[in-house]
Amino acid sequence: MRLQFAALAALAAACTPAPPPAATKVAGEQIVNVYTSRHYDADNALFDQFSEKTGIEVRVLSLEGPQLLERLKAEGELTQADLILTVDAGNLGRLKEAGAFQPVESPILREAVPERLREPAGEWWGVSRRARVMVYAKGRYTPGAAPSMDDLAKPALKGKVCARSSTNTYNLSLLSARIERDGAEKAKAWAKGVAANLARPPQGSDTDQLRAVAAGVCEVAIVNHYYLLRLRRSTDPADQKVAEALDIALPDQAGAGAHVNVSGAGVSAYAKHKEQAVALLEYLVSVEAQGQLAALNDEFPVRADAPTPPEFAPFMGMKEESVPLSALAARQSEAQQIYDSVGWR
Amino acid sequence: MWAGGAAALLCLAPSFGVFAGALLAPHAMGADPAFWPSVFGTLSLVVIGAGGATLIGAAAAWVVAFCRFPGRDVFSWLLAAPLAAPVYVLAYAYGGLTAAGGAIPINLSGAAGAALVYALAFYPYVYLAARAAFAGTSFAAFEAARVHGAGPWRATWAVTLPLAWPGIAAGSALASMEIAADYGAASYFGATTITTQAFRAWFSRGEPQTALQLAGLLLVGAFVLLALERRLRGQRHVSSVTGRGRAAPSLELRGVAAFLACAGCGTLTLLAIALPFGFLIRLALLAPAGPPGVLGDALRSSLVLASIGASVTLLAAILIALSARRAHGRWALLAASAGYAAPGAAMALGGLAMLAAAREAGIVRGLSFGLATGALVWIYAARFAAAGAQPLEAGFARISGAIGQAARVLGAGSWRRFTRISLPLAAPSAVAAALIVFAEILKELPATLILRPLNTDTLAIVAHTYASDDRLMQAALPALLVTAAGLAPVLFLSHHIDGARRP
Repeated sequence: MRLQFAALAALAAACTPAPPPAATKVAGEQIVNVYTSRHYDADNALFDQFSEKTGIEVRVLSLEGPQLLERLKAEGELTQADLILTVDAGNLGRLKEAGAFQPVESPILREAVPERLREPAGEWWGVSRRARVMVYAKGRYTPGAAPSMDDLAKPALKGKVCARSSTNTYNLSLLSARIERDGAEKAKAWAKGVAANLARPPQGSDTDQLRAVAAGVCEVAIVNHYYLLRLRRSTDPADQKVAEALDIALPDQAGAGAHVNVSGAGVSAYAKHKEQAVALLEYLVSVEAQGQLAALNDEFPVRADAPTPPEFAPFMGMKEESVPLSALAARQSEAQQIYDSVGWR
Repeated sequence: MWAGGAAALLCLAPSFGVFAGALLAPHAMGADPAFWPSVFGTLSLVVIGAGGATLIGAAAAWVVAFCRFPGRDVFSWLLAAPLAAPVYVLAYAYGGLTAAGGAIPINLSGAAGAALVYALAFYPYVYLAARAAFAGTSFAAFEAARVHGAGPWRATWAVTLPLAWPGIAAGSALASMEIAADYGAASYFGATTITTQAFRAWFSRGEPQTALQLAGLLLVGAFVLLALERRLRGQRHVSSVTGRGRAAPSLELRGVAAFLACAGCGTLTLLAIALPFGFLIRLALLAPAGPPGVLGDALRSSLVLASIGASVTLLAAILIALSARRAHGRWALLAASAGYAAPGAAMALGGLAMLAAAREAGIVRGLSFGLATGALVWIYAARFAAAGAQPLEAGFARISGAIGQAARVLGAGSWRRFTRISLPLAAPSAVAAALIVFAEILKELPATLILRPLNTDTLAIVAHTYASDDRLMQAALPALLVTAAGLAPVLFLSHHIDGARRP
């Protein structure tokens, strides 16, 4: 038994992170602690490259958006977080309300990130963009005649629409933007119409909606754009077949424009490695990193001058909703209540 | 005695955090229109899922324990294997298999999908507990009944099952609590339960206190369930002076009976193991190579956290189970058990609330790897002490009171009685408890996710992060590794039940 405890202690010691390397460029420890709710291999590749370039070690804790918020609240001024990275403007807004960020002034960030993709005081900055679009079976509609997001609520599509659960952040922000844009009543009428048109109860992920359209369960589904691009590059032949059977419809190009959301990051209010955090944030919006996020993760860059892969061609010149993203957080709770009341579970 | 009470209180502390947070909830519980449907959803899933698990588990255990048929030796351990698989992994696999255009052309969604996955994921609790119970006093009773002229069925219904009931009920209670607390599978299939409703309130309405309120309801529900279970089996005090069971009677099955036994076990193996894990293995083989080093690091983190967590939890479980042997110490087990039924994420929220309070009071002045690990281990103990204490208590209960009384008459003190009598006799149960807790912690997801230190991703976390991003292919390998890491203890456990039976 004693031996066992000794072994455990040794194991525990082995698990403790190594001491930080000696300081070189920026003052202080060459470490930046990132709390993130984006868990993509692409991000880790960028962190590695950043470490290679600067000698700053990146330590990561990944959590879902709401859990990230609770952890930061509980840790308060003791938090180890230097940079906080999350998906969706709703999550970013809640973090800001909770006082998790501090304003950052950086000419590099200001130049790279357009005004509507960042928090006015510089508390958070957009790092990548994603569009909530529709997919349909290839050949079902002639290009240009595909339904718009508004059409999904009309009786003509009864029993022909697939969507995931309303608890999902992407759907919450989609409706939040509609509340902000058209008012609660119109937004509710839309949600009610879509809920009545669903081919099956909401289930599974965005990718499951793609599969359902390809299998003929429904005609049209709401998904984030990158899920389809990802399936096209899948190493599973079954996935490629699904992707080949589908086409993308850009929503509401004649109307309000597509709902486009961001992933974003801000420097923690209690950052112990602030300079390092700003350096990492600046790196994430650099031309090089933005190009890689596009190529590796199929996300749209925030800066116009980043190179984009050829698969992005259908999205070039897409009209986007003009709703300021910083307004979405305040609408999320109302959006969930509307979804609940119309039976979109 | 006092140590058991202290351990139970420590395990209960995060639950107090849950109740304290719940008091701050902005609305009364019934005000949400989705409240009653979610209560109904949880109750029906517990009845169908745990009921299915109990039927499957008890039947499989009886066949394997009492009968001889081709393949029996393989099935005896194979049927325990799903215990190693996290329920969310089974949900991913069945979700993928039954996705539109998938291998199985059935739309498995909502409560039906969740209930099937629950029955398949949790029947091993009943199976192992029932086999252990059969291996104890039941064989002797079964043989006695047979000698007195009862047929095998009558011997089973009238004698064996009633004697094994405490074990079956304990396994069934564990399954019920797992189901009530589960978030992964329920949300994956879109079933409406108290737990998914709690997460809905937290994640989309930004009301963590409402989530704690609903978690508090689950805690109370678990308390009531356990009290009922104890009451139901309270009258049946089963003890055998010989302690160890006798060699299993072999009911040699031939012809149709042998075929049916074989086919039944085979179908269960197919549904619970071959189909889902075959699917995941195929995905893992198709998946592109992930970033190097990630899985090795995750395996190491998993083993370290599970080893530390299991040691601490087992210690708490032993103290609680010991104090539960005395009439006025029963509350300790009951109290600790409630934690098992709380969603892990809610317990972690309770833990975060305690951290915040300690920080504001100036008790905690800095965060570190050790502190985060300590907090996480605390939550592990709060969640799983009951899972360890149940088999331990059953083990202690099987030791005849007569032996202890004899020792006491001969002048042995309580410590000496514990080390010289209780501990050696209960050692098999202690090993079983340790392994169950170890496997549980390896699989644990929500509390690990919320409380773990920086740069510490377990296999379960890696699998979850890929799966939650819709990359089931990349999630397959870590999911299989979690299962494989949990498999060793489960197989050991299953083998041990067989081993203990040999005269």
